[in-house]
Amino acid sequence: MSLSKDDLLRYIRSELNIDTPLDGDTELFSTGMLDSVAMVGLISFVEQKAELRVQPGDVTLENFDTVDAILAYVQTLD
Amino acid sequence: MSDDFDRSMWRFLADNLPARADKIAAVDQGRAVSYAELAAEAGRVADWLVRRGIRPGDRVIVHLRKGIDEVAAMFGAWKMGAVVINVNIRWTPAQLAYVARDSRARAAILPRNALEALVGEHALPEGTAYLVQGKAEGLVQGADPWGALAADQASAPDEPDPRGLAMIIYTSGSTGAPKGVMLSHRNIRVGAISVADYLGLDESDRLLSVLPYSFDAGLNQLTTMLLTGGTVVHQPLTMPAEIIRMAQAESVTGIAGVPPLWNQIVRLLVDRPTDLPALRRITNTGGKIPPNILELLPQVFPGVDIYLMYGLTEAFRSTYLPPERFAAKMGSIGRQIPNAQVFAVKHGEGVAGPGEQGELVHAGPLVSMGYWEKPEVTAQKIRPCPELAHLLGDEPVVWSGDLVRVDEDGDLWFVSRMDEMIKTLGFRLSPTEVEDAISQSGLVTDVVAFGVEDADLGQAVHAVVTYLPQADETALAAHCARAMPHYMRPQHYHPWPGAMPRTASGKLDRPAIISAARAALHN
Repeated sequence: MSLSKDDLLRYIRSELNIDTPLDGDTELFSTGMLDSVAMVGLISFVEQKAELRVQPGDVTLENFDTVDAILAYVQTLD
Repeated sequence: MSDDFDRSMWRFLADNLPARADKIAAVDQGRAVSYAELAAEAGRVADWLVRRGIRPGDRVIVHLRKGIDEVAAMFGAWKMGAVVINVNIRWTPAQLAYVARDSRARAAILPRNALEALVGEHALPEGTAYLVQGKAEGLVQGADPWGALAADQASAPDEPDPRGLAMIIYTSGSTGAPKGVMLSHRNIRVGAISVADYLGLDESDRLLSVLPYSFDAGLNQLTTMLLTGGTVVHQPLTMPAEIIRMAQAESVTGIAGVPPLWNQIVRLLVDRPTDLPALRRITNTGGKIPPNILELLPQVFPGVDIYLMYGLTEAFRSTYLPPERFAAKMGSIGRQIPNAQVFAVKHGEGVAGPGEQGELVHAGPLVSMGYWEKPEVTAQKIRPCPELAHLLGDEPVVWSGDLVRVDEDGDLWFVSRMDEMIKTLGFRLSPTEVEDAISQSGLVTDVVAFGVEDADLGQAVHAVVTYLPQADETALAAHCARAMPHYMRPQHYHPWPGAMPRTASGKLDRPAIISAARAALHN
């Protein structure tokens, strides 16, 4: 897989237009920073970059609320 | 009965006291409040508004994430007689500033980061009072932190005219500035009474609130629960897995959604079936669920009543299909809800009969007060119906702009927005028909069809589609050639990368999608 922390942070900052401070443990969805439309974009970015399929049941706060959580989740699929 | 219609918004909450003082009124993740606690929290907000010089009739903006504080803020404003404008938390600073100026709001209740974004061109007039959620240190002048609100003084509530203005719901048109629909206390009250009646809600109900309170159907969930003494369970996240997890953990008895949400939830539950023993009913509003998803609903929600509903903000709520007719009439919007009068009208002719089509018009006590400070637009949308003069005289009705078909039993079926009908090869074609047929392929997640002017065809059918993985235009075109008559088949497919944009209430943003596809054609 070729999804790095920097890829994700860069994607969220630029594509999703977030200009507040952001790092690996910033909560994205539980704080309301990102909404459902952003979520769909983020999932397809992860799918493309990491070359995998995210199952609908895996789209949870536990797996997607922070950049670190997304990276850990992607690891489990490898 | 009409006595019961004429009560102020504050009574929704106050009428539960003292009998249900200790009953849980609202639940957030990790927090719950009783009716007494909710009324006290609203009382603190009301006292603050009064102290900051807000008077009955003034407009107060509530711009908060879904939750108990949001409910307390709205009812605080209602308690002291103000008019509530709930601006969806997902709206941008520019939209928020527009609404605040258009309504000349004198106070805003919002999170700290939203206040901090109201600078430069988005700054609100000096003297606006702000109540701010979040850190208290270093707030700008004129802003008070929610955390420092004084204890409830149990002040006497204002007693507004129930027929007066209670709330303005701004609807985000992709074309033109948002317009504010004015609802009276009575409109909202009748809406709650009517919907609680046909859904059979009572104090044992716990409704899951995902749809925003800035949207008529979302607000209606809250008011029906307060009316019947039930409990509302807040889920601000729109992740399907989190919605289902909360529905299960909180033993919710009802879930309300809009089509794109049902689409995602059904796909999740097909993949991972989940037992929801407390769930009694699910409701849909805000558009037609694609047929392939409709068919799966009874399978993923076994034994649950499925209600298909239809409403216009200008008349709050309009029709529903009772669950016992769901299997036979999957996709119909049924008939008028209690206390509403809904007709299909053939322009210049009369009421549409079985097998005919007409524009849906809505009369009765749910008809709103029109658009905020837009009398010309109001007179165009809400006006007498000559075709119904024998029944209604010159009583104004809401003209929906939606074309519906009447079936042999009198149930209504949504055909199309009147201004979106596609005229091709001499046929009048509903984009919904095209979209339904494309959804049936099982190859797409989202689809929007529209007409493009064409010298030979009149209009050509175009379809914007989001393909599922492994699907492509070749496969979809082959499906359309099999499943559709020739005039209905799209002449052009526009692939859309990822999910299509939604409005803040979760519906597909059709105008934005169509204009993006049109722009791409010209490049």
